[in-house]
Amino acid sequence: MPRKLRFVIGVGLMMAAVAYLITTAIRSTSEYYLTVNEVRARESELAGQSLRVAGRVKPGTIRWDPATLTLEFTMMPLPRAEDDAAVEPVATGAPVLFDVIARGEPKPDMLADNRDVIVEGRLSAPARLNASQVLTKCPSKYIPDKKGIPDNKG
Amino acid sequence: MPLLGQLALALALILALYSIGANVYGVRRDLPDLIASARHAIWAMCAMVTIAMLVLWTGLLRSDFSLEYVASYSSTTLPTIYKITALWGGQQGSLLFWTWLLSIFSSIVAWQNRRRNLEIAPWALAVMAGVAIFFLAMLNFVTRPFAILATIPAQGTDLNPLLQNYWMSIHPPSLYTGYVSATVPFAFAAAALITRRLDDSWIRTTRRWAIFSWFFLTLGNLFGARWAYEVLGWGGYWAWDPVENAAFMPWLVMTAYLHSVMIQERKDMLKVWNLVLIGMAFGLTLFGTFITRSGVISSVHSFTQSGLGPYFLSFLITIAVLYSALLIWRVKDLRSPAEFESYLSREAAFLFNNLALIGIAFAVFWGTLFPVLSEAVRGVKITVGPPFFNRVNAPLALGLIFLMGVGPLIAWRRTTPRNLARSFAAPVFFGVATGLCAFAVGLHQWYALTAFSLAAFVLGTILVEFRRGVSARGHLVAEPPARALVNLVAKNNRRYGGYIIHVGVIFAFIGIVGSSFFKTEVKRSVKSGESFSIGPYELRYAGLDSSETPHLETVRAKLIVTRAGREVAAMEPAKLFYKAAQQPATDVAIRSTPAADLYVVLAGFDEASATATFQVFLTPLVFWIWLGGLVMALGTVVAMWPNVRERAAIAASVRGRAADDRFAPQPASGGR
Repeated sequence: MPRKLRFVIGVGLMMAAVAYLITTAIRSTSEYYLTVNEVRARESELAGQSLRVAGRVKPGTIRWDPATLTLEFTMMPLPRAEDDAAVEPVATGAPVLFDVIARGEPKPDMLADNRDVIVEGRLSAPARLNASQVLTKCPSKYIPDKKGIPDNKG
Repeated sequence: MPLLGQLALALALILALYSIGANVYGVRRDLPDLIASARHAIWAMCAMVTIAMLVLWTGLLRSDFSLEYVASYSSTTLPTIYKITALWGGQQGSLLFWTWLLSIFSSIVAWQNRRRNLEIAPWALAVMAGVAIFFLAMLNFVTRPFAILATIPAQGTDLNPLLQNYWMSIHPPSLYTGYVSATVPFAFAAAALITRRLDDSWIRTTRRWAIFSWFFLTLGNLFGARWAYEVLGWGGYWAWDPVENAAFMPWLVMTAYLHSVMIQERKDMLKVWNLVLIGMAFGLTLFGTFITRSGVISSVHSFTQSGLGPYFLSFLITIAVLYSALLIWRVKDLRSPAEFESYLSREAAFLFNNLALIGIAFAVFWGTLFPVLSEAVRGVKITVGPPFFNRVNAPLALGLIFLMGVGPLIAWRRTTPRNLARSFAAPVFFGVATGLCAFAVGLHQWYALTAFSLAAFVLGTILVEFRRGVSARGHLVAEPPARALVNLVAKNNRRYGGYIIHVGVIFAFIGIVGSSFFKTEVKRSVKSGESFSIGPYELRYAGLDSSETPHLETVRAKLIVTRAGREVAAMEPAKLFYKAAQQPATDVAIRSTPAADLYVVLAGFDEASATATFQVFLTPLVFWIWLGGLVMALGTVVAMWPNVRERAAIAASVRGRAADDRFAPQPASGGR
């Protein structure tokens, strides 16, 4: 049935085109999605690559300069149990921490101590992440900080 | 009071179980009384869920913090409107809301079909009751909206400030309405498979439901985009976040379904494909809830992560397996005698439109799940961000827009190249001329050029269609052209409503292309009295102003905007601080014109020195996205409007005429 065959070929070509678009786009746009601990473990091979790193803001480390739009904070690993509010950094050896610097973007409103963040950027030096974007997870429900007003209102 | 809500939910579950049993047993043993009682059980279930809704709403309005839900999502200082919308601000409430919509829609379906579709309606209602049982079981046993706190807090923790916004009040209900109403065509599809009534009566019966669902999915997506644009303060409206994708995929599949059912109604083809599409659309509504609630995929909007994920996944898999089994069981009854004859036919245009839509949906699905897939296969999580989605979807979108122009003008079955040239000469000229003009005024970005030319081409084809229809009427009846236009649309509302929707899609497409390719950004730190410029605008900073209410503190910056020396606007971007939630928020200032939006964010300030830092975006054509949404909504209302001919057809089917009676046949207009 040549007529049917013609359509089978057309549909097949269309599907192949979509598959081709997807594979080439994945090859050129994918980035590693890693946790703070994973980045530390593979630091040497990841230098200069574009990364997405998931972690948590270490309390008391947020520094924000509104005049230059420079945001700095220290990121620590997420605790194992997601529901655990109290954070215990991994106790074995030196604590795994990253300094994050983001320039030129406003401070996300949701950024605060102990908030979960996803940082996009590249490693610029050991344990130092140059961020192009800092995304805060925006929970539909969150537990407010009972200890007082967060230090950065602006 | 909470006890009343809990009791109502328990009774609703029992009623849903009864309704399944009574419907199935009644239809198999042909017991009309039992089927009637199953119908009444659905109405009673709806009443019970409504009571539960009212109880929760009362709790929110009275700030009854003994309820865990109220204490978690409200506070005494929360404005009343947000106390009402807090009902869908959290997980338990939104599931309750979902169940409520489902029970309302089931009740309407039971009412609509009390005297027609006597064979498949009881099965469809049984399927809907089955879905309701799942949600009611969640509400009764897993995530209970009426959980009581042991110690009653003095104040609630407030609704997330990001959700205290007009668009966020209407975005979730629209999306849920779209999600839940997709259950109706799905239930009828399953019922058609079970009863082997596989003609297009299930499609005709649920045509309006499918458009209704599409309408609210469209609005839900647009409201969400508008919310992101106004509230998140990054100058964009769409970030390909998993949560957004979860709402976008059902929309794509539903769009494909609405187009391909036209081929089945007209040509009796693609029967299996349509059943697959509606199954996918329904599955994706559950999948959307699954990925947002389970934490399987990390999203910027992580909703309350809960134990709900596995339940949704099990339900989704159960539905998928059962439905696939049904489909395979009936596949030999679904063979179609007709086949595609020529590439130059409307069927072929629709087929490739379907493939493009499903291709986009698949790419979005793949990109959304890629971190999970790559971790499973290669042991390392790899994500793809917005660049992936843009790269894959940009060419597919062009193809889709092209087919959108071709489809309406090309004939069914086959067309000769000569006819084709005659139909398309004017629109093609219009498209090419637009492209050349744009190039001449300095637009040299090839994608945008192609996109704008195609957009003009499609608008041209739609104009040709309207003109053809009006002049065809002019030959039959003497009436002024404006009158003829109104009558044309009124008599063929499904067809011309569809064209109006296409105009809206083109507007939105122009807006998306313009805002994606030509957005500019400026960041500046300025002292009071200093000014800076972006595009044709000059912005002078005129100081800060702070104010306070019991609910929030506000710091507002004042900017005077001038263009060519003339003052055009005063803009006041602000930073807010919500006291109960202890949470800052951004209030952007937007000046919208059809040419471009001026979008100002107060990024930071120092009250002592009165300096402020602004992030300003100039985004061309973004206005057209929202206008396009409005036009799409208008077109959908036109397409859904009751039609005299269709009513007559329904009346005929009630009287028990032949089942394959053609429903509202499409008029053959000139040239085919």
